[in-house]
Amino acid sequence: MSDSPTPMPRRNWLLRLLQGSIAASIAAIFYPVVRFLWPRPATVSGAAEVTAPFTVEELKARYARGEVPPPFNFDNKPCLVVLLPDGEIRAFNAICTHVACTVAFRPDKKDIFCNCHNGVYDLNGQPVSGPPPRPLQAYKVIRRRLPNGQEEIIVSRTA
Amino acid sequence: MSHVPLDTAPPAGLPARPFKAFLEERLGLDALAHLAEKKRVPLHRTTVFYFLGGMALFLFGIQVVTGILLSLYYKPSPDQAFESVRAIMTEVEFGWLIRSIHSWSANLLIGVLYLHLLTTFIMRAYRRPREFTWMTGLVLLALFLAFGFSGYLLPWNQLAFFATKVGTDIAGGVPLVGKYVLLLARSGEEVTGDTLARFYSLHVVILPLVTLAVLGVHLYLVQKHGMSIPHPVIRRYGGEDRVPSIPFVPDFLLRDMVGWYVALGLLAVLAALFPWELGVKADPFGSAPEAIRPEWYFLFMFATLEQTPSYVFGLENKQAVVLFFSLVGLVVLLVPFLDRTADWGGPRRVLSFLATWAVCAFIIQTGVGLGLLHFRLGTSVATSGAAAVVLALVYLAYCRFAGREDRA
Repeated sequence: MSDSPTPMPRRNWLLRLLQGSIAASIAAIFYPVVRFLWPRPATVSGAAEVTAPFTVEELKARYARGEVPPPFNFDNKPCLVVLLPDGEIRAFNAICTHVACTVAFRPDKKDIFCNCHNGVYDLNGQPVSGPPPRPLQAYKVIRRRLPNGQEEIIVSRTA
Repeated sequence: MSHVPLDTAPPAGLPARPFKAFLEERLGLDALAHLAEKKRVPLHRTTVFYFLGGMALFLFGIQVVTGILLSLYYKPSPDQAFESVRAIMTEVEFGWLIRSIHSWSANLLIGVLYLHLLTTFIMRAYRRPREFTWMTGLVLLALFLAFGFSGYLLPWNQLAFFATKVGTDIAGGVPLVGKYVLLLARSGEEVTGDTLARFYSLHVVILPLVTLAVLGVHLYLVQKHGMSIPHPVIRRYGGEDRVPSIPFVPDFLLRDMVGWYVALGLLAVLAALFPWELGVKADPFGSAPEAIRPEWYFLFMFATLEQTPSYVFGLENKQAVVLFFSLVGLVVLLVPFLDRTADWGGPRRVLSFLATWAVCAFIIQTGVGLGLLHFRLGTSVATSGAAAVVLALVYLAYCRFAGREDRA
C-alpha cells in the first residue's frame, strides 16, 4: 500500500472531512460563547425623551442658591441641562467627547467643564480648550406649562 | 546534606528511613531537592536587584490571600458593592486591615514590578538566552496593571466609576476594533452592573488563572537559565564561573525572607496609619468630582491624555495617546532583540539614553498628574529630554574620571 504509485483521493477526502468537522465543532463551541459575551440588548437602547427632574422655576431657584443640579438619566446617559442668563435652556449629553467622563456646568465661569482632563466647552457645547476633540451632543429642549404655573423641561434627541 | 541513592540502600529488610523512601519512590522529591541545592545566586554590586522578583512574588501571595478573604464578604452588584465594602471596612472584624493591606500591597507590587523591569534593563539580564524571561515578565506587568484596573472598580465608588469609564473609553480608541473592545469590556455602551460583574470575574477568575500560567513559565525560565550576571562583573572576575555566589537554599532564601518580613511590617504600618479610603458611592449620572485622578501608576498616562491636543496628525487625542504608548510598549517588549551588542557586553548608548529619557518622563508626568507640575506636553518632553542628557553626561564624566569602561 505504501508504495502505491497513485494518490489516494478517498483518504484525502476523509482528511478534509475530518478537518472540516473539527473546524465546525470549534465554531459551534465558540459562537455561543462570543454571543454570550456580547452585551444584552436591554443595555444598548434607551428612551427617546425624558422630563427633567426639575422645572424651570426650580432650576432658577437652585442657581440663585449657588447650586447646580447634577446631570440626570436620559437614554442611560447623563443629561446636562443649562439655563442661560437670558432664560434660554439648553441640554447636552454630558459625556465628554474626550474619554467619556461626565462634564459639569460652571455658572461662575459660564462654561461646561470636565474635571477629568480639564476640557472646557462653551455653552453651545463647542470645545474651547483642553483635549476634547468634538462638541458635546446637543439635545432638543421643549418647555411645557404645567397646571401649577411652572414650566417643565422635556429633553429629546434631535431628529 | 548527604543523600543515599535508593539502589545503595540496604538490599534486604526495611530501608534506613522508611517514610522518606516511601515518599521518594512515589513523588521523586530528590529531584526537587537536587534542584534547590543546585541553584546559586551570584554575589556582586547589584545582587540587591535579585531580591525584586522574589519580593513581587511575595506581594502577589499577599494579594491572593487577602483577595480570597475579601471575596467572602464582597458582593458584585451596583446595589450592594459599595455597601459590602463599607461593611468590610466597618463591621467585619479586621476587615479594614485586610482591605487596606490588599490595596497597599497592590500598589507596592506595581512599584516593585516597575523597579524589577528597570533593574533587569540596567543589568541587561534580558540578553540571550533570556529573551522570553523578559517578555513573559512584561506580560506579567501588563496583567498586574489589569489587576489594578479591574480591582479599582469593585468598591463601586465615584473615583472607580470614572476611572473605569475613562479606561474603557481609551480602549475604545484602538483603531478598527476599538468599538467592539469597548462594548465587550463594558458589556454595553455604558458602565453598568454588567460591567461590574465582568470586572469581578476578570479580577478574581480570569486574571489569576492567566497570571499563574504566565508566572509558571517565567519562573521556569528563571530556574532554567539561572541568575544573569552583568558583563562588567563577569569581566572583573575573568569568567562567569569565577564570580562568587551563595546557595539559593537556604542562604539567599533567608535573606529574601528578611525582605518579606520587612514588607509585611511596612504593609501593616501603612494599613494601620493610612487605611484605604472608600470614597463616595458611584452615581452613574453625576458629574465627575473635582481633582479626580487615577492610581499613581497610571498618572503618567492620565497626564499625557490631558496635555495632548485634541488632534495630533489627524488622530484624535486618545487614539494618538493609545498609539504612542502601544509603540513604547512594543519597543520595551522587543528590547532583547533591539540591543544588538548585549551578547558580548558592548556599549548600549541609544537604548540606555531612551530608557533614561523614559524614566525621567515617567517621573515628570507623574508629577504633572499629581498637580505638582504645571507643564504642557512640549515642556514635559523637553525637560525630561534635558534631564536625560544631563544624566548621560554625568555618567560619561564619571566613567572617564573613575577610569571605567563606558559599558553596561
